[in-house]
Amino acid sequence: MGILIQHLKKYKKEAFFSIFLVVIMVASQLWQPKLLQNVLEAILNDDSEKMQQTGIYLIGIAAIGLIAGILNTITAAKVAQGASADIRESAFRKIQTFSFSNIEKFSAGNLVVRLTNDITQVQNLVMLSLQSLIRIPILFIGSFILALMTIPKLWWIIIVLVVLVFLIVKFTFGSMGKHFGIIQKLLDRVNGLAKENLLGIRVVKSFVQEENEEKRFSAVSDDLTKHTITVGTLFSIMIPSFMFVANMATVAAIYFAGTMVKADPAVIGAIASFMNYLMQIMMSIIIGGMLMMMSSRAFISLGRLQEIMSTEPDITYDENAPMVDLPGSVEFKHVTFTYPGDEVPTLKDISFKIEPGEMIGIVGATGAGKSTLAQLIPRLYDPTEGEVLVGEIDLKKMNKKNLRESVALVLQRAILFSGTIADNLKQGKKDATQTDMERATGIAQAKEFIEKRAEIFDAPVAERSSNYSGGQKQRLSISRGVIGDPKVLILDDSTSALDANSEKLVKEALNKELNDTTTIIIAQKISSVVKADRILVLDDGHLVNVGDHRTLLKESPVYQEIYETQKGKEA
Amino acid sequence: MKELVKSMKFFHMYLKQYKLQFFFIIVSIVVATYLQVKAPQYIGDAIQELVNYLGKLNASGGKIDDMSTFVHIILLLILFYVLSSIATFIQSMLMTQVTGKATNRMRIGLFSKLEKLTIRFFDSHNDGEILSRFTSDLDNISNTLNQALIQVMSNVALMIGVLIMMFRANAQLAWVTIASVPFAIIIATVIIQKAAKYVDLQQDSIGELNGYMDEKISGQKIIITNGLEEETVAGFLGHNEAVKKATYKGQVYSGLLFPVMQGMSLVNTAIVIFFGGWFALNGSLDRSVALGLIVMFVQYSQQFYMPLTQISSQYSMLQLAVTGARRLMDVFDETEEPDAVGGSTFKGISEEVLLDHVSFSYNEGTPILKDVSIQVKKGEMVALVGPTGSGKTTVMNLLNRFYDVDKGNISFDGTDIRHLTLASLREHVGIVLQDSVLFSGTIRDNIAFGKPEATMDEVMAAAKQAHIHDFIMELEQQYETEVSDENNIFSTGQKQLISIARTIITNPSLLILDEATSNVDTVTESKIQKAMDNVISGRTSFVIAHRLKTILNADRIVVLKNGEVIESGSHADLLDEDGFYAELYRSQFVFE
Repeated sequence: MGILIQHLKKYKKEAFFSIFLVVIMVASQLWQPKLLQNVLEAILNDDSEKMQQTGIYLIGIAAIGLIAGILNTITAAKVAQGASADIRESAFRKIQTFSFSNIEKFSAGNLVVRLTNDITQVQNLVMLSLQSLIRIPILFIGSFILALMTIPKLWWIIIVLVVLVFLIVKFTFGSMGKHFGIIQKLLDRVNGLAKENLLGIRVVKSFVQEENEEKRFSAVSDDLTKHTITVGTLFSIMIPSFMFVANMATVAAIYFAGTMVKADPAVIGAIASFMNYLMQIMMSIIIGGMLMMMSSRAFISLGRLQEIMSTEPDITYDENAPMVDLPGSVEFKHVTFTYPGDEVPTLKDISFKIEPGEMIGIVGATGAGKSTLAQLIPRLYDPTEGEVLVGEIDLKKMNKKNLRESVALVLQRAILFSGTIADNLKQGKKDATQTDMERATGIAQAKEFIEKRAEIFDAPVAERSSNYSGGQKQRLSISRGVIGDPKVLILDDSTSALDANSEKLVKEALNKELNDTTTIIIAQKISSVVKADRILVLDDGHLVNVGDHRTLLKESPVYQEIYETQKGKEA
Repeated sequence: MKELVKSMKFFHMYLKQYKLQFFFIIVSIVVATYLQVKAPQYIGDAIQELVNYLGKLNASGGKIDDMSTFVHIILLLILFYVLSSIATFIQSMLMTQVTGKATNRMRIGLFSKLEKLTIRFFDSHNDGEILSRFTSDLDNISNTLNQALIQVMSNVALMIGVLIMMFRANAQLAWVTIASVPFAIIIATVIIQKAAKYVDLQQDSIGELNGYMDEKISGQKIIITNGLEEETVAGFLGHNEAVKKATYKGQVYSGLLFPVMQGMSLVNTAIVIFFGGWFALNGSLDRSVALGLIVMFVQYSQQFYMPLTQISSQYSMLQLAVTGARRLMDVFDETEEPDAVGGSTFKGISEEVLLDHVSFSYNEGTPILKDVSIQVKKGEMVALVGPTGSGKTTVMNLLNRFYDVDKGNISFDGTDIRHLTLASLREHVGIVLQDSVLFSGTIRDNIAFGKPEATMDEVMAAAKQAHIHDFIMELEQQYETEVSDENNIFSTGQKQLISIARTIITNPSLLILDEATSNVDTVTESKIQKAMDNVISGRTSFVIAHRLKTILNADRIVVLKNGEVIESGSHADLLDEDGFYAELYRSQFVFE
């Protein structure tokens, strides 16, 4: 709620104006029965002048109500749009300060949903509040008071009506409540079954299980239908019950007013407006209930947005630290790392030091912790224990720009953003020149396919970079990594989609062009790291051996096992 | 228009069996409407009667104190309201049942239809797109049937009823009441059209913003490691502003309908009261009659405007249902998998599998396999290798008849597989795919997927052969552990072992392993390899491999490139040939 109020402040004027318009709308709506009563009385008294005067009032007031309604919609939309766009902006800004583990905690998809669907909910809530939510209590209380004023003796009819409507709502919603939960679960299950059948259609077909799957699906679908029909039937009881109660109240009003006519003839003129107020009271309860239901969803959304805003980035930089020209050494001092939410650490007490300019390989089975280790160097995560140093400085004591310019990470799953090739390359070096781009793409062996495009560096990159093959994406991603001449370059299995020859050319170019750069290569294939100065062997989070290929073959059982599975035999 | 015809066909298909229910629904709508429009008249009568009563009372000096007519009308009103509530209940309850059952049949019908469609359909349609038919399209249809249909029907009935009643009561006032209706309709239409236009624009701009945010946040690793946060926010602001502008107009127009219609109803009521009073005082109406008439017409005026608002707001919902029905009908119109009519039942391979000059393309003009011939004797293991796009996986698709050959033929023991019944063919052909899929259910269900009647002993035997039994026994609930494709009980390698167990239990006579180990590292691969060796031994098998380690011992290795067989022979033969295979081999392995 806090987040909404905070952002509504900017639109205070519009919001108050909009509420003022609502009051006018309601007033004109509530005044009408009163004027109707005057007209009827004027007719009874044969007062032509009063009749005409009141009639003109009637029309004038209704017209004002109409105009107020239109203006209210416009201002309400303005406030709703303004506030929700502002909330979205501040949430997005907040996300940009997040560390990677902050984002992982929410998951990227979830954040996007919060910034779209949840914002839409909030926007609808604001719109609804300014259009109707405020109107309902005014309408309810207004009709209540006016009805009482019109025929005070019939006060009990109003009370009975209100009590009965509440009871019906309580009964029906009470019985529906538990079904709603079940229905939601069954819906998820139905969609889940459909989804897994789409995903596994080849398995279903090759095992000839179509009929069994149909049976499984029908059972859930039947169950779902049973509950929807139950809820529907409850609704079928609820709506006519409302109408019945309201109508009975009307009838009672007419009857009891009738019995009063003898003593007080003027009451005839009041019956119609009393009835009208009764209807307004009932409608405001029903609509109010529906609005409450709708807004409860929006409140959940607000809570989810609030969660983003109140999350503090768990990695901050020491911005007072001076910019230093760092040597390319990398050192781990007793580093242990556990992913948030995990119980077992992924990296366990790892220590090593890499000298500037070294080429280091990291090998190990899936899940051994290779990528995790790599991600600690550009500070995507902070170690749970121990410290990571680049150029002899603890990462936690380094300013952000210094770190970003010194360390480049190239991921296995190459991520390119839509735009042009040049846009993507410049992400690695903001002021990259044509020469820089040519050099970087040359190293990554990307130049040849880029030059085949008419637009060269201005060639478009589509969403999800779907217009490039896996190998091309990796080569562009490597180009982005090397363009800024980093002190430390980490290649996380980033040549996996390259054929053997291109991979060799990339390695040679890296050696030649980035000779001073410390290069860390994570690989599945031993052939990718055979020529490294040293190889770190990881096993289940432990650093088990360090050495060059030949040493490891002799000393490391883990390395030997991996090697065995990749060793060629000359036939 | 075509869409409308198609969706009508769909609704007819699923609703025709509820004719009786619809009959009763319509009867109760007519009854309820009749009572609803008749009631204001009685209320008017009651008030008129009160005026008469008062007149007589005063005229007689308090002697004639007879309220019986008034009480009579009150009793009639009560009866009316009881009946109209019952009628409303009946129509709504029946409609709920019809909707529930029809939607259920549509959902199951859609699912069964999907189970019968060709693999080509699934390969050429996006999963999310198909799934949206289960979610949004079925939802739209069901909501429309449940709410919009009854609302539109009863609102139309109500408008007709009110019209009749008004003109019978007083034509002059009736004309006054409906005079503004054409304006209301025109205004409503304009608002709805504008709203539709701007809501479309709004969806587009939200879509763009969504795309932007999704791309950036999914790629946040790059943004963080390259320090691109400020640029990313700057790009966001443009999209956010565009959304704000587009949504503002969309929201104004879609929010306008209700207040405008309500405001017009208010104005109209005022006009009716004014003219009613004017007619009363200018002699054309008797006063007691006029009083009743005005009260009656105030109600009619409101009753007449309400359905107008409702119908116009239901219009977009109806449109969604028509589109939804058309989209479902599109699926129902797809061709199903062809089975061999009068085909023979396949009982397993006794001699050989033969691909005889097979040509195939997924899309005309881009051939995937060109004149491929492979002969496999019973019990042999044949490996298919080649670069991505060479057509290896296509061979698997053809052997299992996921697709049919364009030219040439595939035969088992001399019988063209197109002449074997589909079920018997697939029962004897076992496949382990590159991406293993788990179905929601227990581990046991997943292993016994292809043979639900399997005993626990059989399931455990299969798991042991697949080297996954020990791991399963370590789980708290062992074979009864609930799994689904999304939860992470199993690693990728273990999931693959489950799918191998799933294949073992069906004891296939021909086995196809389609890059079964390409998603795991080489150490895990060598563990899976042992399980695979268990399945392969003694069976005729096709092994499709990206990495060569798994197929070094194949009886024959067939190298495919650009859809053609370029080399064929044993590992040793092919190394001697020193061609494509030899080079591939040397690039994948480490040599001292």
